[in-house]
Amino acid sequence: MEPLISMGVLALIGVAATIAGASEDLESDVGSQSNPNSQVQLAPQMMFPHRIYNKAVSGEPPSNALMSAVGATGAVVLMDEFSLSPLFALVFGALIAAMVHGTFAVTSTMGRAASQRRFKQPVYLDMIRSHTPVIMGYAFITTFCILVVSFLMDSVLSHPFPLPLLAFIWGITVGAIGSSTGDVHYGAEREFQQFEFGSGLNASNSGNIVRFAESGLRNGYDNSWFCAKFGGPVTGIAFGMTVFLGNWITTVFDPARGVAEGWLSVVAGVIIVLILIFWNRKIEVAARNAFGPYKQDKTEEEAAA
Amino acid sequence: MSAGGAGGEAKGGYPPNTIIGIGAAGGLLGIYLAHFLSGINPAFSFLGGIGAICAIVWGADAVRRVASYGLGTGVPSIGMIALGMGIVAALFGLSVGGIAGPIVSFIAAAVIGAIIGVLANKVIGMGIPIMERAMVEIAGAGTLAIIGLSTVIAGSFEYGAVIENVVSTGFIAMIFIIGGMGILHPFNANLGPDEKQDRTLSVAVEKASLAMIISGIASSINEGMGAAIVTVLVGLAIWYMAFNKYYGFVKRDAHAVVGTGLLPSAEELE
Amino acid sequence: MIDIMANIVWMALIVIGGVLISWSVHFVPVGGAPAAMAQATGIGTGTVQLAAGAGLTGLVSAGYVMNVVDNLPLILASGAVGAMIMIAVTMIVGTWVYVYGVGCVPSSAKVKVDPLTHDRQDLYVSQGTEGHGLPTVCFVSGVIGGALGGIGGALIYYALLKVGMAVTEVNANLVGLVGIFAVGIFFVNAVIPSYNIGGTIEGFHDPKWKKWPKAVISSFVATIFCAIVAVIAISQMGGL
Repeated sequence: MEPLISMGVLALIGVAATIAGASEDLESDVGSQSNPNSQVQLAPQMMFPHRIYNKAVSGEPPSNALMSAVGATGAVVLMDEFSLSPLFALVFGALIAAMVHGTFAVTSTMGRAASQRRFKQPVYLDMIRSHTPVIMGYAFITTFCILVVSFLMDSVLSHPFPLPLLAFIWGITVGAIGSSTGDVHYGAEREFQQFEFGSGLNASNSGNIVRFAESGLRNGYDNSWFCAKFGGPVTGIAFGMTVFLGNWITTVFDPARGVAEGWLSVVAGVIIVLILIFWNRKIEVAARNAFGPYKQDKTEEEAAA
Repeated sequence: MSAGGAGGEAKGGYPPNTIIGIGAAGGLLGIYLAHFLSGINPAFSFLGGIGAICAIVWGADAVRRVASYGLGTGVPSIGMIALGMGIVAALFGLSVGGIAGPIVSFIAAAVIGAIIGVLANKVIGMGIPIMERAMVEIAGAGTLAIIGLSTVIAGSFEYGAVIENVVSTGFIAMIFIIGGMGILHPFNANLGPDEKQDRTLSVAVEKASLAMIISGIASSINEGMGAAIVTVLVGLAIWYMAFNKYYGFVKRDAHAVVGTGLLPSAEELE
Repeated sequence: MIDIMANIVWMALIVIGGVLISWSVHFVPVGGAPAAMAQATGIGTGTVQLAAGAGLTGLVSAGYVMNVVDNLPLILASGAVGAMIMIAVTMIVGTWVYVYGVGCVPSSAKVKVDPLTHDRQDLYVSQGTEGHGLPTVCFVSGVIGGALGGIGGALIYYALLKVGMAVTEVNANLVGLVGIFAVGIFFVNAVIPSYNIGGTIEGFHDPKWKKWPKAVISSFVATIFCAIVAVIAISQMGGL
């Protein structure tokens, strides 16, 4: 393939993946999904009923894999059976996926609240009505971008896996990345902003999530508004980097041109990983110096005394 | 659809063996009817979806029983292992079994499930008393769900037809995850101290009917629009009934279902 | 039975792949739900899903390389690199969030000093938590875990494809079947170890890591049965 075309496709894949990552994280923040949701689930039990969506569909990887695989199925049907243009088919497939995801979101938030009867957690219908379309909107963006990535890998970079399988795998990956990175910003910071910054969540404060906003009661919009400033974008960078770097090494050093080129791609990948390990170490040292130890060293004290 | 009428038992009305019967017999019956009647008219392939609904309800009930013990990690893990075993066992059975394919798959899944269940308790030491049994049930249910949905798309469970229409197109990945979510989502979505069996199972029916609708859409490539529309419409009808049933259970079980409102006051929480 | 005897080498590779995946999960530093609230060291997600995310990314890389060259070491290395990049990127961005977004120092509560950097850890664990973030030892452990998982996934994919190539040419049918089998066997072998470690682990320095033989034995037995049925199913492709 023309190197220029493959570079262009690679750039497009990277962009689509970045958007997918960011919208995936915001989708899980506005609806509250995955691990931080354990605190939303716990809150009523600790006498803190709330008006936050409880989108316990499943972990983020399976739910995103579901959206992506359903969207890819719809897109394949529209392209093969109705010979529609890929762009239209991908949009329509993503629309089907968003609707399916919406039903999953509704059953989970209603079910979880209903199962907390003894803690007197009500089911707020207006909250469900207002948040579900937003969740579906983010789900649409995520699915569409994942489908773009998978479609380009299939049709231009000639990956052997069929479209739904590729979309399924990228769905698992975007969910795994989203729940590992951006969710921490929601779980460790936004849910517990009333406590001192920089301490992590003290176990004794578990379940005491912020339930009141600047005015009125805190809802999922407030959470996604906050996370859109940091958690969402970095999740996008993480997924974009994963997809881009993973494809970049095999595009620049294409194994199709020979085994030696293939090994160069492996070396390039290992170098990238080593740089990341070193970078992590730099951040760790900087954080240790900036935030300082939280406790006195007892052995030193004893030695001094 | 599962009518209300849960008994007074703390664990919920339907005993496990009833659900196993519905799941295994209904699942196999649906698959076989779909296979034979599709030869007469492809529109009958929707019966595979009905079989898948029975299987998914069974799987969700088994997840409910085993996950109540606490797995040490999220509920979804057990759904993923079920479908991981299920996909291998399903295609194995169809490849060697011929007309007995689904039964061979089912037995293979039960054997692999039993092995993993025994390993989980004896080697890893999870100490969940019903682990072996639950793994057999979940693997079997996952396998039947996969074969049922594959039959919807392929119109038959012949190995060649399934490979051609379901596997090579990649729809198998969609079946894998939507079947898995059908099995793991209902209990995960209703997790909590006041979880009720009938409510959980009504979600299972609702999610399984979604799986049927999506498989119906996918079936249009092979079966043609007519058959696909039948499957989608039947699926939508079941979905509508199941969702209303579920919403009724939510209104019955929840502390309050309110249009809008403030948080319960401190006195109310006392 | 002829299928099995003829494919005994490939079956051995599948089993090794399954065992590698099972072992790899023990290296991935996963703190589960508490880590998402900066309440425990590690990545704030579930073991199964993170291992699957990394391993399947490796599978995508390996699948691409296998499509163009037939060289086992290169395919395995590509799988490993794909998975390593995914997990390293996830962890570095996780560190950004923990340090810049949440403001806590990467620290482990399981060991007093980091075995790699010899930095004191216990002084940096804030009150009421079990550590937070990803100190260097966790990061390196995670990269090792990603590499092992990627190799395992690629090995299963390679061996299953070789079984199929003996009976039919490489086409969409075969790639689809082998791809979904690799995913299925991957999930089985990712869930078994996560039950072994109870959902959370910090890496190879964690005392729980020593439990790995239990999961590896379980995966060994389970994968043998998965390999038998998968090999038979793929061998039947020849008759189509």
